[in-house]
Amino acid sequence: MKRRELIRGGVLAGAVAALQPGAGMAQNTPQAAGTGQPSELTPAQSGVDAAKDLAAPGWKPRFLDAHQNETLIVLSDLIIPATDTPGAKEALVNRYIDLLLTAETSEVQRRFLNSLGYLDGESMRRFKAAFRYLSRDDQDDLLHGMAYPRNGSKWTGEAEAKPDVGHEHFEALKKSIMTAYYSSQVGVMQELGWDGAFTHGIFQGCEHPGGDHK
Amino acid sequence: MSVNYQGQDVLQQTYDAVVVGSGATGGWAAKQLAEAGLKVALLEAGRAVSPNEFTEHMPAYKLKYRDQSPEIVRTRPIQKQCYACMEYNYEWFVNDLENPYSTPPDKPFTWQRLRVLGGRSLVWGRQSYRMSDNDFKAASRDGYGDDWPVSYAELAPYYDIVEKYVGITGAAEGNEMLPDGQFLPPMKMSCGEIVLRDRVKAKFGHTVTIGRAAVLTQVHNGRAACHYCGPCERGCITFSYFSSPFTTVKDALKSGNCTLITNAVVSHVDMDDGTNKARGVTYIDRLTRQVREVRGKTVILCAQALESTRILLNSSTREYPNGLANSSGALGRYLMDHVVGGGASGHLPDLKTLPNANEPQRPNGIYIPRFRNTPSSNKSKFLRGYGYQGGAGAEFNFSAEGYGASLKKGVKEGVYRISLGAFGESLARWDNYCEIDRDLKDAWGIPALRISMTHGDNEAALMEDAGASAAEMLDAAGAKDIRVQTRVEMPGMAIHEVGTVRMGNDPKKSVLDAFNQTHDVKNVFVMDGASFVSSGCQNPTLTMMAVTVRACERLIERFRKSEI
Repeated sequence: MKRRELIRGGVLAGAVAALQPGAGMAQNTPQAAGTGQPSELTPAQSGVDAAKDLAAPGWKPRFLDAHQNETLIVLSDLIIPATDTPGAKEALVNRYIDLLLTAETSEVQRRFLNSLGYLDGESMRRFKAAFRYLSRDDQDDLLHGMAYPRNGSKWTGEAEAKPDVGHEHFEALKKSIMTAYYSSQVGVMQELGWDGAFTHGIFQGCEHPGGDHK
Repeated sequence: MSVNYQGQDVLQQTYDAVVVGSGATGGWAAKQLAEAGLKVALLEAGRAVSPNEFTEHMPAYKLKYRDQSPEIVRTRPIQKQCYACMEYNYEWFVNDLENPYSTPPDKPFTWQRLRVLGGRSLVWGRQSYRMSDNDFKAASRDGYGDDWPVSYAELAPYYDIVEKYVGITGAAEGNEMLPDGQFLPPMKMSCGEIVLRDRVKAKFGHTVTIGRAAVLTQVHNGRAACHYCGPCERGCITFSYFSSPFTTVKDALKSGNCTLITNAVVSHVDMDDGTNKARGVTYIDRLTRQVREVRGKTVILCAQALESTRILLNSSTREYPNGLANSSGALGRYLMDHVVGGGASGHLPDLKTLPNANEPQRPNGIYIPRFRNTPSSNKSKFLRGYGYQGGAGAEFNFSAEGYGASLKKGVKEGVYRISLGAFGESLARWDNYCEIDRDLKDAWGIPALRISMTHGDNEAALMEDAGASAAEMLDAAGAKDIRVQTRVEMPGMAIHEVGTVRMGNDPKKSVLDAFNQTHDVKNVFVMDGASFVSSGCQNPTLTMMAVTVRACERLIERFRKSEI
């Protein structure tokens, strides 16, 4: 390559890069002090702690509408209820899912709303009311039918022939809710019991020299 | 950045060696040469890195998206295919929009790259295995391909040097396919791994050993032992896993003989007219986009196999119209990347250990060395073989059934998982290659690569066998719900790409001699994984580093004899 080509190419490519999608994201990244350049650190690498963001007073959903948000709160707390540890509602599972969906592709957004909508559709069909207004028993009745894969007759091959749409929507919603709960501070510390320490000694491995690993 | 070197402008002098790339091999080249008294310029395309940006002790709930960020993929759709590119550290990986490459539409290839001091050594998997003459001399044994111009006996002393410095935890096994090395104490195995080890030995006669990893199990060369926090790919505040910025590069700078130039995106090697010698390299300052030249008596490319190849291809001259030092035509050819995708997983219902969020996290697994087509085994229908990496342990069961209080209980009851995943040899083939894409440039105007690679029938047969064999082994260990995988992942997925500037004794068929010097241009060297003649099935970084140290020792000798 010739030096002149490089200079020309470099200048042009710089201009092109500024027009590409993603270049605009640089506006949101912190500037390194005094350099005028983006810091090139992730927020985590810069030490940003976002743990309290979702608990902000006056929080409002940005992607979900009010009804969808309320439905998600009800559903999430049925899937992961408060027991001797807090449930999904207290862990603000709905707020995390709303945040994630705001940043997701329209395809992912559409699929989530489809699943949530399916729940209300089934609820209307069977109980003539949206899911969040049902009695606890009716909510359970509806969810129970979706939570376990339908065991069709092995003789007729029904199970293989028909996709279990209700179960698929349930699993999609459950996955989002579980990810949100078990990645929250409540989920990791109170439910799973992490003590907040990063070292717990050396990995000791198997401690059953006799070969009985019970 | 141009660091002032003893008060002089760093670009006004002629270095003994210009080393391009600061990762596993570039770090070693800089250290060896600078400590021997040579004046070295070490060029890195990215910025410097600081321990302040390590995030291994940050819980995911402190991240905006708790490490599920949907935003990374916008700037790093390719890098995101690597598990180690995450919300914590994605800025270490290249921005794919700025660093494009192309492939034929029917031949996808994923190319994982870091441009930051230390390169991929910051996030590598750390698994470190020696190759043997079953690999270096494989062609003589089974008739496929070419032998390396280096034997195990010639490379062994350099494996020793590298292992003693880096610190490799592991257990000696006396296995014919996997030579033992200079090991720090091995890490421990879990119950499930011990069950697998004992039953696989009894039923199949194969060895299951603890992984050999570049992670310290005791204080070593001034670095602390591993504290078992887990996510090495986010950094290590105690420097207990090997990464070049805090070891080899640090040593090179300490010698007083090495000038580090960061943000130096090297475009090509500069040749001195009429002498058939390189006079240095040209780079573009990543931030200012100024074009600069660094002069050196020798040029040593350690930029990563494909990047080093790209630099040579972009350095064409009238004498070398198809890429510098490419009179053989082999430059860019014989691209290899271990085939992955075969294996099996299941669970061990007999083991009742409960998952525990407060357990030490072992940054290592188990390893099963190659057992196909060995000197003591029968010949298979396919050539060469594969090794397995895997592990077993109790995990929270996020696939627990149902909902409500019983779901919460099910998660905590956990599941004892066991899995094996194969890394298979990628045969060296002329028609797996990279070239310059005349229509594509990176953000600095440097012509980009077009990569054309597929795994072939042999690789597919390896993964087929790897799936079936893994299932047999898990079954022998008492595993249930065994799931077998026999697919062939897209090339690049192993992130073990090697081979495009191959070594050889015949200048008509290879680009480099046995000491990584190009046959054509006597002061240009390629000392990274590009020099591999065959891939073996072992993770390549340890061998790459040993090759670098050996090549540097020869170069130092030649400087001493004033041959350069």
